[in-house]
Amino acid sequence: MNRLLKTPITATLTKHILITDYRTPTTDHQNMDTQWPRWEVFKQDRPGKPFEAVGTVHAPDAEMALLNARDVFVRRPECHTLWVAPEAAVLRLTAQELAGRQDWPDEPATEGSEEMAYHVFLRQSHRRSMVAVTLVGQVLAASSADAMHQAVAQYGASDTVVWWVVPDSALIRSNDDDIASMFEPALEKTYRDQTTYRGRIFEGRRRGGTVKEVPGA
Amino acid sequence: MPPELTHDERLTAFEARIARGEKIEPGDWMPDDYRRQLIRMISQHAHSEIVGMLPEGAWIEHAPSLRRKLILIAKVQDEAGHGQYLYHAAESLGAERQDLIDALLAGKAKYSNIFNYPTLNWADVGMIGWLVDGAAIKNQTMLTGASYGPYSRAMVRICAEETFHYKQGKEMITLYAQGTPHQRRMAQDALDRWWWPSLMMFGPPDADSTNSTTLMRWGIKLKSNDALRQEFIDEIVPELHAAGLCIPDPDLRYDENSGHWLTGPIDWDEFWRVIKGNGPMNRERLRARRTAHDDGLWVREAMAAYASRSSVIGKRSTVSGQR
Repeated sequence: MNRLLKTPITATLTKHILITDYRTPTTDHQNMDTQWPRWEVFKQDRPGKPFEAVGTVHAPDAEMALLNARDVFVRRPECHTLWVAPEAAVLRLTAQELAGRQDWPDEPATEGSEEMAYHVFLRQSHRRSMVAVTLVGQVLAASSADAMHQAVAQYGASDTVVWWVVPDSALIRSNDDDIASMFEPALEKTYRDQTTYRGRIFEGRRRGGTVKEVPGA
Repeated sequence: MPPELTHDERLTAFEARIARGEKIEPGDWMPDDYRRQLIRMISQHAHSEIVGMLPEGAWIEHAPSLRRKLILIAKVQDEAGHGQYLYHAAESLGAERQDLIDALLAGKAKYSNIFNYPTLNWADVGMIGWLVDGAAIKNQTMLTGASYGPYSRAMVRICAEETFHYKQGKEMITLYAQGTPHQRRMAQDALDRWWWPSLMMFGPPDADSTNSTTLMRWGIKLKSNDALRQEFIDEIVPELHAAGLCIPDPDLRYDENSGHWLTGPIDWDEFWRVIKGNGPMNRERLRARRTAHDDGLWVREAMAAYASRSSVIGKRSTVSGQR
């Protein structure tokens, strides 16, 4: 808690947030009482682990999207870095859509566009999981469609069920300065972990039923 | 999927995928009724998480120790997060979050009946964890196997977190059940009031469950209401007995032949009365939710104002590349 006060989250985040037109989806804020734009959330549990798509949050801007992502997806100590991206920046494809695509894979790259880095995420099985897709690599491409074309060619093993491509320029990231205020406080909240309660009931019995806690009348 | 297929051919292929244990993902073909049933079920589930914060949230400032208070705050925060996971799953089917929330605030949406009962003493918080979250986990564990990918994933994430809700409740009630006479009376009183509503959480008997056939045919539900209810009863009865509590059902007995605990008749008239809006707390829950929404308006306005201001600043400095 003290760390949170010493390092105001907003101050830490603002300095590395770079807002471009498509990172802040144009919306009529006056009509957004209960629904702001959607942002995809990518979470890295530990350094060296791949980023995983865990779900979405609604937020009026990138900074709030990152903070909401922390509140919704990181109530427990299992996060090193968060990324958010406007949902519209993410291009998705399922194996079924790929199979039904008549013009695939001959879609041409956009002429004259500069190449950008795109992150490629895959889902590779139907097994139960809490993650939609996992980061597997990057491609350089002139458009999202071009990036998807390359992603399918390079990462198109027969077991892939879902592909996502996300332009690197669309990502807003937490950084190392944010770890202390955003993610570390969860480490001390051991009561959120079910294993904390292992055996406590039986310890209670050994104490002869003496319960220190006095419930409210 | 090739576009020249007929609807029946698509449906056959869809059902074959479910039979093979494949998950249906956003973008894949699905029957309209599958989409409709999922939106209905997932949004009700999401609303239940949100309304479920109210009966327990009311006790946060009355918690008898700092430890219990921290636990209860964490649990209520989890429910808020679980509501968000589920709204996300419904949105992946094309539902608009605003429509879902507006329906809840207008009193048009259903949520779990259990939250229309009042929390009258502190031990209710523990009993809700043990019985209500215990019953919810049974249902949600089944739903981790649901055929729709985003719903299944929300359930896996929720179950991983929710086990703590059940365990803290079981711990609290077990301690009270061995505590002072006053503590024992509180635990028993909580069980007396929460036992039957908990059994009703699994929904109406199979014969009266109108949506179950479709939900099971398409792999959304993998077990029937009655089957899940029986599994829960068989697990929880010995646990409550071991804690020294008395289950408020004179007809409860163990059937040697089937190996099941059999309960007396459940009062389904009460269930339908509460679900139709005439339970003890239906109006109060909606009032509290609307008040919370209205009280948060200035925060939403401030966030929107800040966002429109910073996006103007952002447009000016697009190329500054400040990292």
